[in-house]
Amino acid sequence: MQQTRPDLGAVASYTFPKPQRVRVGNGTVVAVDLPGQQLISLRLILPGGGAVEPLDALGVSALTSEVLEDGPDGNSSLAPALERYGAEWISRVTWDGFITGLDAPTSRLDEAVLLFNDAVRRPALNPDDIIRRREQLLERFWLEAASASTLAMRSLGGQLFTGRYATPLAGGPIKLADITPERVAAFHADSLASVAGTLVVVGDLAGVDLEELGRGVFGDAAAVPERRSTEPGPPPGELPRVLIVDRPGSVQSALVIAHRAPSRSQVDLPRAEGISEVLGGMFTSRLNMELRERLGYTYGAGSRFDLRRDSGVFFTSTQVEASTTAHSVTSSFEQIAKLREDGVTEDELATVRESNTVGLPVSYSTARSVAGALVDIVMHDLPDDNVDRVRAGYEKLTAEDLNSAAVEYLRPEEAVVVVVGDADSLREPLTQAGVGPVEVRSPESLWS
Amino acid sequence: METSGRVEQYTLDNGLRLVTAPASTGQVAAVNLWYGVGSRHEVPGRTGFAHLFEHLMFQGTGNTDKGDHFDAVERLGGDINASTSTDRTNYFETVPTHALDLILWLEADRLATLREGMTQEVLDNQRDVVKNERRQRYENQPYGTALERILRLAFPEGHPYHHPTIGSMADLDAADLDYVKSFHKLHYGPDNCVLTVVSDLESADVLARVEKYFGPIPARDEVPEVPDPSLGSPLGGPVRDAVTETVPAAGVFIGFRVPAYGDREHDAAQLASAVLGQGQGSRLYRSLVVERPIAADDGGGAADILPFRYTDSLLLVNMLARENVDGDVLEKAIREEIAKLADGVSEEELDRARAVLEREHLHHIAGPAGLADTIGSCTQLFDDPELAYTWPRRWADISAEEVRAAAERLLVDGNMLVVRFDPEPEAEAEASEVEAEADTVANAPRS
Repeated sequence: MQQTRPDLGAVASYTFPKPQRVRVGNGTVVAVDLPGQQLISLRLILPGGGAVEPLDALGVSALTSEVLEDGPDGNSSLAPALERYGAEWISRVTWDGFITGLDAPTSRLDEAVLLFNDAVRRPALNPDDIIRRREQLLERFWLEAASASTLAMRSLGGQLFTGRYATPLAGGPIKLADITPERVAAFHADSLASVAGTLVVVGDLAGVDLEELGRGVFGDAAAVPERRSTEPGPPPGELPRVLIVDRPGSVQSALVIAHRAPSRSQVDLPRAEGISEVLGGMFTSRLNMELRERLGYTYGAGSRFDLRRDSGVFFTSTQVEASTTAHSVTSSFEQIAKLREDGVTEDELATVRESNTVGLPVSYSTARSVAGALVDIVMHDLPDDNVDRVRAGYEKLTAEDLNSAAVEYLRPEEAVVVVVGDADSLREPLTQAGVGPVEVRSPESLWS
Repeated sequence: METSGRVEQYTLDNGLRLVTAPASTGQVAAVNLWYGVGSRHEVPGRTGFAHLFEHLMFQGTGNTDKGDHFDAVERLGGDINASTSTDRTNYFETVPTHALDLILWLEADRLATLREGMTQEVLDNQRDVVKNERRQRYENQPYGTALERILRLAFPEGHPYHHPTIGSMADLDAADLDYVKSFHKLHYGPDNCVLTVVSDLESADVLARVEKYFGPIPARDEVPEVPDPSLGSPLGGPVRDAVTETVPAAGVFIGFRVPAYGDREHDAAQLASAVLGQGQGSRLYRSLVVERPIAADDGGGAADILPFRYTDSLLLVNMLARENVDGDVLEKAIREEIAKLADGVSEEELDRARAVLEREHLHHIAGPAGLADTIGSCTQLFDDPELAYTWPRRWADISAEEVRAAAERLLVDGNMLVVRFDPEPEAEAEASEVEAEADTVANAPRS
């Protein structure tokens, strides 16, 4: 006999593992022991990042990140050397940080870390390697931008910001070409070699000496200098407006609706992320239910915040069948307006509250994901119990909190709609849609 | 590597196979169902059905409404998705442990009562969604049709692996409600399913819960005939498909038939592919990205195996040309590197290849969802869940000579297919990974 739908069992209380902090020299090791996790995730967070690059060296962090892969011996020797230890090299530049690291089996951690230290602090930085990497990065820009959704995302910065954020993180197709090997060497010396930083270590730590690990990674490097930042201004132009980036013959259009948002420290995270989840952050969100599950225009639609130290961006994104582009734009605006006017349902409130509280054991079920939460804590100067604090914020969230967040954080009147698709067939319907002035650009004209 | 020693396997009276294994972090349960149905079961004119069907499994049942299943898991903060390949369809959820009963009920319910909830309306809607999935992943991506072209060359017309899992637009249009219902009846039975639960619960406890929800569901009345996957003749290569279209650079895709997944020579071929094109220490990366350099930097992902259990697998090599490098030059250089494998592989290269493959395997099983998926695979395909933990030993056991000999026998022109993309003159147009699977949800994370 078939069973009836069961009720949920009692929720077990969850607490994010309390990291151990060990001060070594001018750096700090932040560690979480997960017995049984044979792959250790190690991450070094240094304060350099795209946002603090000087305007005459846009992309130097991203290029340096690539060049580190050439290793202490140069000529792309790092990854193969690590591969022999079954270790994976990680190097990632964000707007707010320069993160290098390893995922390595516990059995070979020591050897892998020796190599890691040399790779970060004492890379060869051969000019030939740097030029090769730069040329590859420049070519890859257009290879990757041949995908409509990638091109749409890269087009956003220039529509929302002046200054550094107007150019893609990796420097874009023009500015990166100006970065010389000397510039990379200077950036490395100032921002990577001489700054101790913070080391995150997660995995089965039985047999791992954290102090020794820290000594090797930090050496005699200096403490992280204090950072200051100012919010960059917007570019001129009427809002809302539509930018079509021409992609002739495109059978789908990549559609991004974006506007500026407060910075990470200014935003009330549970309210902001909560309202974004209702609009587009989940499968059952309004945009996905409308554009995918009701209209069948797309394979998926979503939204999220990209929050940085000095500013932020909110955006919705989808790829829709070309002929439905204009209606997808107006439908998206309707969904946003409706959410702002009518607020959330009790059901949506419950979903947001529950998914961000009871679901934490799922979110943190791997060494990598725990390491990711710690990187976030370090990069944004958050307390060690940040995950639990945010959870507490979600636990007390009310419908009124989310409704006020819809008005405060969703700003369709300040939005830029970026559509990557066939301009000849899209200009007319998008003009008719009446969102705002429509401009058509070629991808090549977006960056100078 | 240690085996778990704690994997338990049970078979219910209705044929359902259950495997339980411990999770390495607490309070979480990963559930994974591997149904033995994939695009290899599709017949001509009905391609894309196994995958379209996967979508319909989320659209309501006799006891739930459209969207209920997703909603239930999302509000638990859980992960949920499904994917279809040639050989299987899997459905998976990772949830806090207290929700395990609910997930088992939802899964048992759609197995038992899906046909009662299916409507023309949801079929029409999901057909549109899948057509947009096809546009997004295949038609609107540069090189997006590569996999479809590769399969067409690799397997003859009428062969069950000749067509891609996503199917054709025309066949998707022809989907009707009766056929969809009959597909469920034919393929979805407890006797065709491996259910894996990775959690911190005792296995006897998990078994009791699974018995409670799945035990009452009867096995299928009949087991369907499977289209014959045997290959009568060799590939007869080199065979070629040359495409000129809007792509940003010339793209070279080369494939070889290699033995089926599970065969020892398959493992040797996998090591050969790692020596050749996995990682930045691989031959193709060293020679064509770093030294010459004529190929775009793919980070060391030029070669891989598309594993098929029931017919020949494919070893695939893919690189894109640098600016101002002719596709012919790149293709010739790749083929020369492939041919050199027959001259021998050093112990050092083989050690690196083993380490790269082992790392990838460890990553996949590092989280509960990936572990459940791997156990499901090893049980469904090989009836041996412990393989999920011990698989890397298979590579440890293969010698450099075996790898060389496999290359000499298999990586030859007569067994080769080539798909070439060249840009239209004066045309401007992301290198897309060859993607063998299709999911219910866009951009789903893969562990």
